[in-house]
Amino acid sequence: MSWTGFLSPSWAWLFLLIIPLVIVYFLKLKRPRFEIPSLVLWHSVINDQRVNSPFQRFRKHLLLWLQLAILLSLILAAMQPFLRGGPGSGNNLPILVDCSASMSAIDTRGGPTRMERAKERITELIDAALPGRICLIAVGAGARQLTEFTNNKRILAEALDTLTVRDVPGNLVDGLRMAQALARRETIGTVTLVSDGNFPDLQETADGQKIARVDVELPFKLQFEQLETDAVNMGITAFNARRQSAAGAANRLTPWDVFVRINGSPNDVTSGEVLLEQDGQEVGRQPIALEAGQSKRLVYSLQTSGVSRLTARIVSDGFDGLSSDNTAYLELPVSRSLLVWCDTDLQSYRHALQVFPDVTVYPNDDASGQPDVYDLAITETTKKANPNLEASVRLVIGAIPEDLAQLVTTRSGNSPVVDWNRSSLLLQHVNLDSIEIADEPVRGDDVLDQNFREAGYEILATGRSGPLVLARHAPGRQAFYLLFHTDRSTLPYRVGFPVLIKNAIDITRHAAGLAEVRGQPTRVLAPRLLDRNTTYTVAAPDSSTQTFRTGPDGLLSGVPAPRVGIYRISEDGSEVARVGAGVLDAGESSLASADLIEPRDEELRVSASTTQIDTDRPLWPTLAWIAFIVLLVEWWYFQRKTIRVSG
Amino acid sequence: MNTASSTNQLTTLLDNQALTRLERLRLQPNRRKTNRTQGEHASGKGGSSTEFADYRNYVPGDDVRFVDWNIFARLNRPYMKLYQYEEVMHVAILVDASNSMKFENKFERARQLAAAMGVTALMGVERVSAYVVGASGEPPRVMPPSSGRASMRRLFDFFERAECGGDAPIDGAVEAMLRRHRGRGMAIVISDFLTPASLARPFNLLYSAGLEIFALQVLGPTEIDPELTGDLRLVDSENGTTVDVSSIDELHGIYHEHREQLQEHVRRQSRTRNGRFLSISSEAPLDWVLFDLLQRQGWLK
Repeated sequence: MSWTGFLSPSWAWLFLLIIPLVIVYFLKLKRPRFEIPSLVLWHSVINDQRVNSPFQRFRKHLLLWLQLAILLSLILAAMQPFLRGGPGSGNNLPILVDCSASMSAIDTRGGPTRMERAKERITELIDAALPGRICLIAVGAGARQLTEFTNNKRILAEALDTLTVRDVPGNLVDGLRMAQALARRETIGTVTLVSDGNFPDLQETADGQKIARVDVELPFKLQFEQLETDAVNMGITAFNARRQSAAGAANRLTPWDVFVRINGSPNDVTSGEVLLEQDGQEVGRQPIALEAGQSKRLVYSLQTSGVSRLTARIVSDGFDGLSSDNTAYLELPVSRSLLVWCDTDLQSYRHALQVFPDVTVYPNDDASGQPDVYDLAITETTKKANPNLEASVRLVIGAIPEDLAQLVTTRSGNSPVVDWNRSSLLLQHVNLDSIEIADEPVRGDDVLDQNFREAGYEILATGRSGPLVLARHAPGRQAFYLLFHTDRSTLPYRVGFPVLIKNAIDITRHAAGLAEVRGQPTRVLAPRLLDRNTTYTVAAPDSSTQTFRTGPDGLLSGVPAPRVGIYRISEDGSEVARVGAGVLDAGESSLASADLIEPRDEELRVSASTTQIDTDRPLWPTLAWIAFIVLLVEWWYFQRKTIRVSG
Repeated sequence: MNTASSTNQLTTLLDNQALTRLERLRLQPNRRKTNRTQGEHASGKGGSSTEFADYRNYVPGDDVRFVDWNIFARLNRPYMKLYQYEEVMHVAILVDASNSMKFENKFERARQLAAAMGVTALMGVERVSAYVVGASGEPPRVMPPSSGRASMRRLFDFFERAECGGDAPIDGAVEAMLRRHRGRGMAIVISDFLTPASLARPFNLLYSAGLEIFALQVLGPTEIDPELTGDLRLVDSENGTTVDVSSIDELHGIYHEHREQLQEHVRRQSRTRNGRFLSISSEAPLDWVLFDLLQRQGWLK
């Protein structure tokens, strides 16, 4: 690749102007007339061989050469030469723009945000890369293509203007994968990434360098334009609450332990206060001082009588670079009993459930009716077999999911447990050794574990001939399938059985948010169970609204939450729910920057570049100045007093 | 200088003090090229002066008045006594009055030098004639041969009324002079010698006419050291032709070389014909030229 190039080489035809310039110069050269006694000596001087040597001929027309220099400078300026930098012009250049939360940080008090500086830098890159085609890709929690490949500067500028920071952790992998996809249909030599280098899961090497490892093969050269960073920050990285007592009723005060984790800058000491507000009232205030890279967890105790909304705020003593991570939200649910459906035929389960005081088991003799939705359903039938039974967590006993009918069947026979996942929430502390099972699930021929995973199931326990326990996780829904009937096994007589029930209750309690509540991070709102087939409007903190419709299951899911603040869910103008989202990401709050990006092929490591010299440097202003200066010299040379008149 | 009457100057060309000093000086030709007219220059043996020169054998037909009878009495053979001739020398003064002499006081200085040379010649009892040649094709202004102190006034008037202008080259001026001049002696040619033609032909003509060549070149300061810069269109004052010269300041060295070559050419042409050459600046002080330079160069004594 040449070190220089021209943006408008077509203007080279102007070099033809040299011919008329030379002709006009010699035709119209105006010299001051000077009368001398005789030309005899000057004739002999001019006829001297030395005077007529090529070099002397060259020198004696200084005015012509000055004019040629002016013309050449102007023509070259019109051709818009440039010193080739990193991106290179005349090619397809995707520019990945980091718009994660850390890009809203400011590094000096009153200074521009990193995003503002990034936009300036990108504008320079665009100017340098034109007339090559450029594609802008915003990299936040995911990658968004802002423009197609275009050399229309106006489109690129408009896209850049509309680009805003999203209060989410950056996902560099998504951005690189999008560039990878673009490289399949366009010729891409270089991809430029403009970022502060704050990527998730930075790893520090022995020599102190921070590496961002991305599991992507790069079919192009990645140029990492890192913005200079020097911010001090303190942010909330976790905001959780745990109910102190498992017991409780809706009409009683429920005690909660609230945990707020604060992370400081990796290189600076930070201090301030952390305020906790409950339904708008300040209920706690704790000072905090963090050493460099230190993290602290603050604990607050409070009681709630119903749904309570908590807000944690950081009031920094000094300069705080990132404001979006200074606030976090948490909604404490109302305390209530778990609603559990358990088939009447499953007496062993109903018996085991009786020991849990805050569990209401249905069907029962209570004439007040049955709820529409249960927290836990323990049943012998699958959802498809009993669609009217709605529950967040379903434990299916002795039935095979309909979509797995081709993969596994059940036959009579002895099926000892070969292995099980002891760390799974359902089977933790459950000993399945030496359990006799009369039903023997058998997987079909050539059916592998991968086929179950592809169907969305996780195998929790495996028998001799096939899986025994399966789990399926879906947004807002969890289902566990025991492919054998426990009544035809020795499990109900073992210690592990009540433990299994306890695990199911705990899973349910967590799913219902009754035991522990976690702060909602930005990106996507957690699925929420609302009315079925209903249209809801979600108003974001920046007053933008989006409309979503629940499905037959009543789940409102996939609601993007790119900004910190309160999201209001309303139906026909009336608010039905309110969710607060915070950054809650230690990586973003640390504002740490990667020194290297290491793709899958380690040889293609990309180091950060904070210098500005890699851009194409236009030379036309320099040439224009040269032309102007030469013009002044020529004017002086032409106008100066040349002779001493005598005679 | 035109205020001679008010200042009691004899001429506007030379002041009285310089004239007084000039009257004591004589021209110093290398060879005595004299005429048969009796004058003050000893021209060889066989003259009629009282200065004895030599003896020779008597041959029939010789004037017996010049037989040395004392020798005859002792040797009994007749010997002729020879006496030196004292003949007059003709001094022709040619002043170049072409346009090129207009510049930088050159013609004025040429007239002064011509008048000074004429004075020394007249005071040396020579026959002096003067020619001023300006335009080619026109007859030169001529002062007929004159001698004696009485002709001094005439000489001054001639040069005072001389005017400059024309395009006559110096070679043409010499030819125009020789068409009118008669007599042997010396030719004092005062010019800038800026001519494209070779000086061999006019100098040959002078030499063959029995004139010893005294070439006196008068150049202006600009011609000696042209302080010109930039790009110029030089115009010849005599014929109006032009030459475009660029970056003229870079050609000074070459110009000096060519000027010195021209001077060397004139000097060589003079010396090969037993003549003399001297180049002066028109700005050089006249007294220094007359009473220092010309005497040191042996032109005057």
